[in-house]
Amino acid sequence: MTKAITFLLVDDDEDDSMLFEEVLQECDPEIHFMAASNGKEALDMLTSEGIDLPDLIFLDLNMPRMDGKECLSKMKQHAALAQIPVIIYTTSFHLKDIEETRKLGAIGFITKPSDIQDLQMILGIIVEHFPQNLKLALRALSQIPTHL
Amino acid sequence: MILIVDDKQENLFSLKSLLQLNAYEVDTAASGEEALRKILRNEYALIILDVQMPEMDGYEVAEAVTGLNKTKDIPIIFLSAVNVDKRFITKGYNSGGADYITKPFDPDLLLLKVKNFCRLYEQTRELKAIQEVLKNEIEARKYAQTEVESMNLDLEEKVKIRTKELVLLNQDLENTNTELAQYASLASHDLQEPLRKILTFSKIIGQQHLAELPEAQRHMDKIIASTERMRDLINDLLNYSKLSGESYFSSTDLNVVLENTLSDLEISIDEKSAVLTVGKLPVIEAIPGQIRQLFQNLISNALKFSEMDVVPTIDIWSEYILEKDLHATAVVEGPYVRIHVKDNGIGFDEVYANKIFTIFQRLHGRREYEGTGIGLAIVKKIVEKHDGIVGVRSAEGAGADFIIVLPIQQTSSIKSNLHERI
Repeated sequence: MTKAITFLLVDDDEDDSMLFEEVLQECDPEIHFMAASNGKEALDMLTSEGIDLPDLIFLDLNMPRMDGKECLSKMKQHAALAQIPVIIYTTSFHLKDIEETRKLGAIGFITKPSDIQDLQMILGIIVEHFPQNLKLALRALSQIPTHL
Repeated sequence: MILIVDDKQENLFSLKSLLQLNAYEVDTAASGEEALRKILRNEYALIILDVQMPEMDGYEVAEAVTGLNKTKDIPIIFLSAVNVDKRFITKGYNSGGADYITKPFDPDLLLLKVKNFCRLYEQTRELKAIQEVLKNEIEARKYAQTEVESMNLDLEEKVKIRTKELVLLNQDLENTNTELAQYASLASHDLQEPLRKILTFSKIIGQQHLAELPEAQRHMDKIIASTERMRDLINDLLNYSKLSGESYFSSTDLNVVLENTLSDLEISIDEKSAVLTVGKLPVIEAIPGQIRQLFQNLISNALKFSEMDVVPTIDIWSEYILEKDLHATAVVEGPYVRIHVKDNGIGFDEVYANKIFTIFQRLHGRREYEGTGIGLAIVKKIVEKHDGIVGVRSAEGAGADFIIVLPIQQTSSIKSNLHERI
């Protein structure tokens, strides 16, 4: 049996986490959903014994204890974790954040949409093109203007 | 007054009479000591001095007199019957005598000599008086000059202190401004977070749970519309407050800034099939990001408020002027540039010219044209930040001509001094 695809969302906002899981379910019920509420929790989870590593990580930036940038940086330094593609999923839309996270190794940057239909479209496209054409999908998404 | 010194009374008497007959004031001394005493106490124009005197002879008197500052300029005529050899006469001149007369003397000649010496004395006295006056004058002026110099130093000190105070005050104000901008920024970020949630869940409710309830859905739509409006207002306020923060001026090619702005607005320009005519703009000292915003706001307004069924035209040109005046005459080269952004849109009654630059003030309802009414307030703030002025000419149905005057160079105001000193 092939292992189910797993997405991990690292976000301290419970509502956003809940919405994300719901939309993901709709897009593809086969995809397994994991959640961590901050950077430290995520790292602890990912480095624990016998963990099944996720295939894609969505990472929020503003979190307590350990924020997204620090978490991303640490993940890329860790042999096993560095391979996992990371998409930033945040409320911010600042150029600075986009550039910094790209430099740290994130493959995409998505600003959280306020309209759930937009989220459905975004996740739909990502799920559809995962894993081979993920980068293409992200590039296409970056052309579409998102609102906060 | 003339002093005659001779130990022989008869000589004193005869000479005294001769001189007094010729209207000269005469004083006598019978010895060298008496002569010196009198000379020190009185003012004499001339001393006629006998050489042969007991105790102190004429030469000694003469030496004493010429030795003293007070008396050295008094002419001395030696008078002698006995010492008439050349060596005596020489000694007389060497002791300070101005003349040496041997007896018997010709009284007429003596009188003429006396007259001459008296005249010379008078002249010397006059010269001395003038010299004294001049000396006092110089002293007074020197004193005045030192006074002025010390007052200047005083003023310089005061100016230094005052400037320091002003610089500190300005720094304070700038800090407060930056702080306020930061608070506004943080506050609006914090406010935007719950707003986003309200929007997200309101939309979910509307789409997923009110599908069967059209009236409820309508109400929900109103909630969503208001929330989106609030989000836009907060965003705009945030942008507006950022303009007060510290910012740095640099050499800015306005042509490049305009080009970039037009490139950003390409889609809207194409949508409206607008025709743009752009003239040459100068390079000025400015904050590039803010000028970009300024052009963006003016041009998107021109596009937004275009007449229906009319091809919108936007003309942008510039000219140099000598003073900071919206209507100054154009010149070939000047310290200010006047930029026009003219459109052929719906225009407005010029009576509202000031109102439209006020924050959140609009001339149209939200149904007619979208927007929060902050665009021109931002333009005005940016212009003021650059020490310029903004105005507009318009009439209903006749488009609008927005006029902006900006200095080419930012003059050394306290703000740039601030960056120099600190």
